[in-house]
Amino acid sequence: MSMTIDARTDTDAAGTAAPPAGPRRFRVFRYKRGDERPHYETFEVPVGHRTTVFEALRWIQIHRDRTLALRHSCLHASCGTCGVRVNGKEGLACVTMVHDIGREITVEPIANVPVLTDLVVDMREVFERFPDDHPIVRGSEFLDDADTPDGIASYERYEDCIECGLCVSACPVVVTAERYVGPAALAWGERVLEEPRGAEVANLLSWANAPDGVWRCHAIFECTAACPSGVNPAARIMSLRGTLLGRRLRKQPRGSDPT
Amino acid sequence: MSDAIDERRSRGPVQRKGLGPRPVGWLDPRGRTLGHLAFVGNRITGLGLVFYLYLHLAVLSLLIRGGEAWNDFLELATTTVFLLLDVLLLFGLLYHGLNGLRVTLVGTGYVPNRQKALWWAGAFVGTLVLALSAFRILGES
Amino acid sequence: MTSAPGTRPFHVLIVGGGGTGGALAHDLTLRGLHVTLVERGEFTSGTTGRHHGLLHSGARYAVGDAESAIECIEENTILRRICPGTFEENGGLFVAITDEDMEYYDEFVKACADCGIPAQELTREQALAFEPNLNPSLKAAVRVPDATMDAMRMPLRFFATAKRNGADLRNYVEVLDLVVNNRVVSGAVVRDHVTGKVAEISADVVVNATGPWSEKVAAMAGVDVPIRPSPGVMLALRGRLCNMVVNRMHRSGDGDIIVPQRALSIIGTSSWTVDDPEELDVPEDHVQRMYEEGAKLIPDVARAELRSAWSAARPLIGSRGDADTGRELSRTFKTYDHAETDGVEGFVTITGGKATTLRGMAELCADIVCRKLGVEAECRTRETELAPHSEAYAA
Repeated sequence: MSMTIDARTDTDAAGTAAPPAGPRRFRVFRYKRGDERPHYETFEVPVGHRTTVFEALRWIQIHRDRTLALRHSCLHASCGTCGVRVNGKEGLACVTMVHDIGREITVEPIANVPVLTDLVVDMREVFERFPDDHPIVRGSEFLDDADTPDGIASYERYEDCIECGLCVSACPVVVTAERYVGPAALAWGERVLEEPRGAEVANLLSWANAPDGVWRCHAIFECTAACPSGVNPAARIMSLRGTLLGRRLRKQPRGSDPT
Repeated sequence: MSDAIDERRSRGPVQRKGLGPRPVGWLDPRGRTLGHLAFVGNRITGLGLVFYLYLHLAVLSLLIRGGEAWNDFLELATTTVFLLLDVLLLFGLLYHGLNGLRVTLVGTGYVPNRQKALWWAGAFVGTLVLALSAFRILGES
Repeated sequence: MTSAPGTRPFHVLIVGGGGTGGALAHDLTLRGLHVTLVERGEFTSGTTGRHHGLLHSGARYAVGDAESAIECIEENTILRRICPGTFEENGGLFVAITDEDMEYYDEFVKACADCGIPAQELTREQALAFEPNLNPSLKAAVRVPDATMDAMRMPLRFFATAKRNGADLRNYVEVLDLVVNNRVVSGAVVRDHVTGKVAEISADVVVNATGPWSEKVAAMAGVDVPIRPSPGVMLALRGRLCNMVVNRMHRSGDGDIIVPQRALSIIGTSSWTVDDPEELDVPEDHVQRMYEEGAKLIPDVARAELRSAWSAARPLIGSRGDADTGRELSRTFKTYDHAETDGVEGFVTITGGKATTLRGMAELCADIVCRKLGVEAECRTRETELAPHSEAYAA
């Protein structure tokens, strides 16, 4: 099965040279409600060739400090709960390999979202950015190379956004514009526009067409770089702007009543 | 448990990029890519250009004080150090202008996914214009 | 908790925020009880969130465990109704590849019919038309109403609805001990990891819904619940290799299910047993075996990049020494009223089962809780459409 080994070690490709041996030092962000300010706590953690940041944090939780609070659920980059910043960079702890990232590793909660405790953020603030009930599943996206056989009206699939909040954390605009609805919600909006399925498109467009909507974006594309699911929120925001602009230009030709 | 509940519902701290007051977060380079660099560059050159505008007005106001003051300034303005500052100003103008053009093209949704290619194209054009201009400007000293 | 006794509804404390606990909170809340649920980590962070994301049709259990199979197909139908939009309803295939698999074919089709599972027999060509990436040497296939779900968000809809109806759901609250006096459980001592404070929650009934941790929590009340935590390894591969759930048509074995999950393909699973579900290993040879077995169903598996490999512990019912691999243990669930089994009042354990049957498990457990409290209330979860998952995090 040499083939499988090749495929499997893909993430290890950088480290055909053996990973540095010995334990790693983890600097972990700590905060309990009522603390005056957060602090960092350091733990030495034994790591193996394939240890993930999540496994290291879980090791700390089991063997060093049971009060360390973590978010996690699926362990395969599908639920979006374990988003953190590792040495300042956004990532899902469950698929971030320890041996790729140096001997001292700082783990902090994602930025721009209030911290509930330790590495746990208050996801309410992420969900509240969406305009209303947003379905995570939308039947869509046919496979190009698979003709749908009779009997199945269409192949349905999940959208790829896992609502991890990493894009909100990576966006430099949210740093100074807290009310900006942010990449995830706008990308969702563009997706609905692409395939409305009965959704009220006019409402959606007026929601997006606001100073704190698509126009707050500075086309920085850090959200796209941070997205662990390849959603490319930035390009979706840009398309949404294109749509809004196009409608505006068509509806109000030069010289018409500006109201 | 009710005290604990109330305590829990208050809003926790919001972590930001970087240390200190908010805009400093823009300068935190950890984990950032080209897009962020371009954004920070745009902010800095933008502030620089605003500063220059007022400086320019201040310099022009020397004319109120008569021809001699203006001539003194011109002497200063043709020194190499000052001309280097002119090159810096030109860099700011080119960066801000070209990047603005890029953001406009991307941001109106006409080329929503070409921000990197446009950045390098702008960098190429900008560097070329800057180099030629610097040659001419510095040649005057 | 402050209103006068007699006027207040009964208070049920659920320990464990997995699918079972969430569904039970929803059911009891609909029946008019006051429910508090505590979970030491994030909701669904134990076993629930880590499963394939497979909504079973029951076909996998039709031969050999008809009880589980019937539970599955019933709940499968109900969940599609009450959780619209949560499932990828692309169906599932059972694929026969070897002659040995074909020997199993007739028995399989008949067992599906006996259990009421719609099963459509397909030729090799028909199966390949559905799923072009299948092993071309397949002999035949059967199409069943499997579906794909999000392992976290489907159960979260139960939490969301319970919350909407007034349940008090608290994640990051860990039970340190149960309050037991004269063989009556009357509450729990908990640590709130958000505030770091220790507090006591009193309740009329405490339900232990901690899955593979049930034995540990039951021991706090001095009773024994025979649980065999049975971990399995699963792989998430980059790329969507199929749109339907692809199963191997043979008796349940390792690595014989591939579930498309967003842009990933999930292969599972292996099975062994451990004493402590806290820290689970991901044995290298199991990872290798998942690759090998998965590639028998879809050859492209061998070339797919590994996104993640992880373990999850099933809470199977059985005593130590009963089983080595866990495959021999039934996938059904069990509810213990410890007043009857151990003479301990105010304490119920629900364990076993699987994500597909979470609602049914909750219904039976809620029946027992209501009977204990003398509450007469019908179960309404079969008809109640669930709230969107994000409401689980609403204020």
